[in-house]
Amino acid sequence: MIVLHANWESLTPGKLHIWAETSNLPVPRRTGTNKKQKKEQDKQHHPYALDHEALKAAVEEHLETSLLKGVDTGTLTLRLPSTAKGPHHSPELILEREDDDVRPTEFQSWEVATLALNPKLALDLLLQLPNDPPHGVAFGSSLRFWAEAAKFTFGLLTKQSFVPALQEFRRDNAPFYRAAWEAVLVGEDDERMHLLSTLMPAICWAHVSPSERFSSLPQAMLSHFINQTIDAFVRENLSEKDLHPSRRSNRRSAATSLAEQWLPALAADDATATLRAPAEELHGFAGDMQAWLNQLQPVAANAPFRTCFRLDPPSEDNENGSAWQVSYYLQANDDRSLLVPAEKVWKERSSTLTFLKRQFENPQERLLTDLGKASRLFPAIEESLRTARPQDLRLTTEEAYTFLRQSVPLLEQSGFGVLVPSWWQKPAARLKVKLKVKPKEDAKTGAGLMGFDSIVTYDWMVAVGNTTLSEKEFEKLVKLKMPLVQVRGQWIELRPEEIEAAIAFFEKKHSNGDMTLGEALRLGLGQEQSAVGLQVIDIEGQGWIKELMDKLTNSRKITTIESPSTLHGKLRPYQLKGVSWLAFLKQFGFGACLADDMGLGKTLELITLLLHDRSAQNGASQPGPTLVICPMSIVGNWHRELQRFAPSLSVMVHHGAERLSDEAFREEARKHDIVITTYALALRDKEHLAPVEWEYVVLDEAQNIKNESAKQTRAIRSLNARHRIALTGTPVENRLSELWSIMDFLNPNYLGSGTDFRKKFGIPIEKYHDASRAESLKRLIQPFVLRRLKTDKAIIQDLPDKMEMKVFCNLTQEQASLYEAVVKEMIEKIEQAEEGIERKGLILSTLLRLKQVCNHPAQFVGDGSSLPGRSGKLARLEEMLAEALAAGDKALIFTQFAEMGSMLRHHLQETLGCEVLFLHGGTTKKQRDAMVQRFQEDRRGAPIFILSLKAGGVGLNLTAANHVFHFDRWWNPAVENQATDRAFRIGQHRNVQVHKFVCVGTLEERIDLMIERKKVLAESIVGSGENWLTEMSTDQLKELFALSREAVGE
Amino acid sequence: MGNWRGRGDYWDYYEPAQPRRVKDGIKAKSERGGIGETWWSKRWVGVLESFSLGTRLTRGRSYARQGQVISIDVEPGIVKAKVQGTQPRPYAIKIKLKPLSDNDWDRVTEAMASQAIFAAKLLAGEMPQDIEEAFDAVNVSLFPTAATDLDTDCSCPDWANPCKHIAAVYYLLAERFDGDPFLIFKLRGRTKEQIIEVLREKRAGTSSGESPAFVTGAEDATDAAGPLLEENLDTFWQAAEALNTFAVHLEAPQVDKAILKRLGDAPFTIGGQNMASLLAKAYDAVDVALRKEVEE
Repeated sequence: MIVLHANWESLTPGKLHIWAETSNLPVPRRTGTNKKQKKEQDKQHHPYALDHEALKAAVEEHLETSLLKGVDTGTLTLRLPSTAKGPHHSPELILEREDDDVRPTEFQSWEVATLALNPKLALDLLLQLPNDPPHGVAFGSSLRFWAEAAKFTFGLLTKQSFVPALQEFRRDNAPFYRAAWEAVLVGEDDERMHLLSTLMPAICWAHVSPSERFSSLPQAMLSHFINQTIDAFVRENLSEKDLHPSRRSNRRSAATSLAEQWLPALAADDATATLRAPAEELHGFAGDMQAWLNQLQPVAANAPFRTCFRLDPPSEDNENGSAWQVSYYLQANDDRSLLVPAEKVWKERSSTLTFLKRQFENPQERLLTDLGKASRLFPAIEESLRTARPQDLRLTTEEAYTFLRQSVPLLEQSGFGVLVPSWWQKPAARLKVKLKVKPKEDAKTGAGLMGFDSIVTYDWMVAVGNTTLSEKEFEKLVKLKMPLVQVRGQWIELRPEEIEAAIAFFEKKHSNGDMTLGEALRLGLGQEQSAVGLQVIDIEGQGWIKELMDKLTNSRKITTIESPSTLHGKLRPYQLKGVSWLAFLKQFGFGACLADDMGLGKTLELITLLLHDRSAQNGASQPGPTLVICPMSIVGNWHRELQRFAPSLSVMVHHGAERLSDEAFREEARKHDIVITTYALALRDKEHLAPVEWEYVVLDEAQNIKNESAKQTRAIRSLNARHRIALTGTPVENRLSELWSIMDFLNPNYLGSGTDFRKKFGIPIEKYHDASRAESLKRLIQPFVLRRLKTDKAIIQDLPDKMEMKVFCNLTQEQASLYEAVVKEMIEKIEQAEEGIERKGLILSTLLRLKQVCNHPAQFVGDGSSLPGRSGKLARLEEMLAEALAAGDKALIFTQFAEMGSMLRHHLQETLGCEVLFLHGGTTKKQRDAMVQRFQEDRRGAPIFILSLKAGGVGLNLTAANHVFHFDRWWNPAVENQATDRAFRIGQHRNVQVHKFVCVGTLEERIDLMIERKKVLAESIVGSGENWLTEMSTDQLKELFALSREAVGE
Repeated sequence: MGNWRGRGDYWDYYEPAQPRRVKDGIKAKSERGGIGETWWSKRWVGVLESFSLGTRLTRGRSYARQGQVISIDVEPGIVKAKVQGTQPRPYAIKIKLKPLSDNDWDRVTEAMASQAIFAAKLLAGEMPQDIEEAFDAVNVSLFPTAATDLDTDCSCPDWANPCKHIAAVYYLLAERFDGDPFLIFKLRGRTKEQIIEVLREKRAGTSSGESPAFVTGAEDATDAAGPLLEENLDTFWQAAEALNTFAVHLEAPQVDKAILKRLGDAPFTIGGQNMASLLAKAYDAVDVALRKEVEE
């Protein structure tokens, strides 16, 4: 893997240096242990940094960018934390080497090869950077920092917060000047910029020599980056003739004034051109330019008080006619609630005014200066200054509107205080539409008619706040021709474009009609612009739609069902609520996504729903079959859980070479309650699955359909299902492409097309962390996604501290063949084997080999071959770990086999992209202590810790873990519990989930069952290890080792 | 010394060789056309130009542009300047404006105090458009209106007064007035501080004896470099957690081209168009580019 880093060099123009660490380079030879030599060299090549060629190739390949054609290369000398062996790697770099436990002790200089991006290229590349790095790449904190800075810059550009400037530089103490664009940072932007600069990691200034560093360097560097990228962006999009079309004609005129040099220089490609004129002239020009640009300086930035304007609507008693009033105040900067009316200010004779124990120096001049400045931004102020002691200003309604719309932002940006009525800019003060929806009258009510596609009758109402307006009332308002009108005591803003939209809407008389329920919900919940052109503020339902709306938006109102008597097991209260919610959405024909945390029992809830359906139907007409699609690795788990909790349901597992097809499949499927199959087969056998009318199609680990264009996804979406349910334990609300795919499977078109969705929600939320879009998306999906966290004690009160569960996995075809070969070989040999040592040895070695096969073919063969896709256990482990990591959890993994542990470590590091620790028999005490510390550290530590069961038994305290995986089994509950207790110790505040992996249909499952059945025996017999197995008869052994058909999951 | 003598075109025939060049002289910013950007400096220049000085005017202007003026000092009632001509020694120039009497000033400030706009504009660095009304009301004039209002003197051998050296200084004064309108008051005998103080007293109703110093806003806290950034082995690679949730709002400006509106007209024009209006196109071009970027 490689880790990409970025350093900004504050030159003109600036340079963004991209460089990379790699884990794939061999450990370098230690050149010259001679310390003296090292000192003399001073700069040394960073041994793990990619060289220019490899760097460029890697960046182009991984980031899939063509931006870097012909990019400059460079070198950078960085002071990095180092050990005696060399530079210490960044935490994002996951090393294959084992000897990385040494902590850095000093800083040393290292030279790295870089790609040196000019500001425009830097901005482009950073903005294009994906949120999650592609496989094999990690983004260092420096790169992530500059990516955020680039987005911030982009935000400033969209807000037009940039200004042309004249920058002064010095060479040999002589000033020279360049034309450039700069950011304007006022108010909140300034604060955000400052905040961002405090987030800058130290690596970002590693190229600045310590003697040139100062405490505000991060801010200076960030500000330089922002200015340079803004300058580059504006230049890129501006040509000289844009600015001054007539200039071409007199281009060669002898005397070009400085202003005439400056203007085109702002559009020139070359940002480094200097203005040419005698020194005094340049100085004068710079002074005038500065004086002009100083108008942007906030008034009274450092003064203790400033001028504040307060707008009040005409008073109720109409004392002042219909005049609006802007009153003048002085406002304390450190206490914005402290307002001194102008009247008081004028009365003060001395230069100090005392008001509420606060002193104001030169209050009159402050107020006068500010009023003078403000009159440029709102010319009406000038009128009021015709009196000796201006205190306020009367405005007509139109003027008040102009003040609010145009002048208030300008005044605020200029640093004035402005107090406007609280309704201004509030959604309630705008013209909106309200959607009234009722069931279509001529339609008979019945379950069959409900659902997303059911037709409802709608009625649009123009509304203001909570008040709906009749057409007549609305016309009356429009006739006033006022931008601000009062409706039943409430001021509202009438924008011309909104009035036009509303008029057109009434004229066309399409204020009522039919639409689908899905469309109504999308409009009402998403509060989008409607077809009408006005924002939808609310949806109001009648009849069953009202009930539906109530329950959709507040799941607590859903009636809790009774646990079906056919369920073998007891549901926890939150689980019963989950089932009730599923049943409610089903009743109305909506697809549902149950997204509870891993371990909370989603499978059980789904099984209960199926039982509930059957008990509710009272045998009248039994529902058709349900299709469960899940990853290969958990087919067995589904099967086992169904058998355990719902023996009354008939289950058909559709997999394996001998699986049914065509008519035979259809017939068989219809005879069963549940058909389980895999994602892969859902595509491969789509023509067999498609003709069946499924009662439910259930997707487990539904994130598997995240790729909207994949054939597999399309095949699944085209299945003929009355109801759809998705189960997933990943936080879907944070992975928007997954969320869209899942929602589009559940409730087609509800979230619009994938492209529209990305534009409207994906990019703003994932890239720019847009909170309001996230909020509106949440409102849209909330009725259809139920996600409960195990940490949420308000909902889940009754979770035990330790939850143990078996995880049933399947074998791959390859594993099954190997397994059968091993068993066959054993049976052949055992017939001939003599009693005693030889037989015993044969049995134990067979046992060992079968366990290896169940773990992974590569462990069995021991050939170092590749791991992905060859083991059911490994696939399941990966899936579960991914979920756990997404939830911020940490996990311990126990295995008996050191070689398996080592394979797991490399594989998991590679696929999950996080640090994985591995403790085995060969680990020294020092290394062990370092690992424990890495694991126990908050957040930043390694999230996964593999322990060989033998090495991991002694005295470790690993309470950071809240998941424990037993990848293979010791079959000794005492030993396993002892291991589990590493995590479950004093200091553990969360509940711990223990996952014991068992391969279905193999000796693993059979031995597990034997232990379960003979718990009492377990301690005495099983407790001594696996020797008891050797006492079994040959027939018993054959039975124990035999592979049943259901073992294979593909 | 004396009042401005009649037409002196005759003397211009004796215009000697080019004046000696001055290093670091004061140069007019304006390179072509008129001098003076604001209405009040134009008003000042207008007075000079109304006297039909002919070529002395244009020569004076080019002196001002070439940087022949070495120094200008504005004191109450008088401007002293040095201008380099053809002779080795620079000429000494004095421009006197008749100061208003205390009584006149009292009446003028009384008139100014009746409308806050005068003080407000002056404090904001602008000359109120109708400041002359306040002076007219008491029958005095702020700007010189007649030749008799100005008393000028130059040590050059030119008989004509005002000579081109005086004109050069006069032009440069106009540019000074652009930046600081209070200079005109100074020439009329009152400093900015004095006027502001009196205006405050008049607003408050009665006159107070105290005369506190006027503070022109707090001094900017100079950016202290502060301590050096330390190298830290433990946190070297770490970005704060908040970096992951740093939000960026992409939104259109509340008011289009607000920056230019806040800047107001620039003190520069090109081809008759103010710089500010020429710059507006840059913001439009960027908007178009951004829209394209977002759509991609």
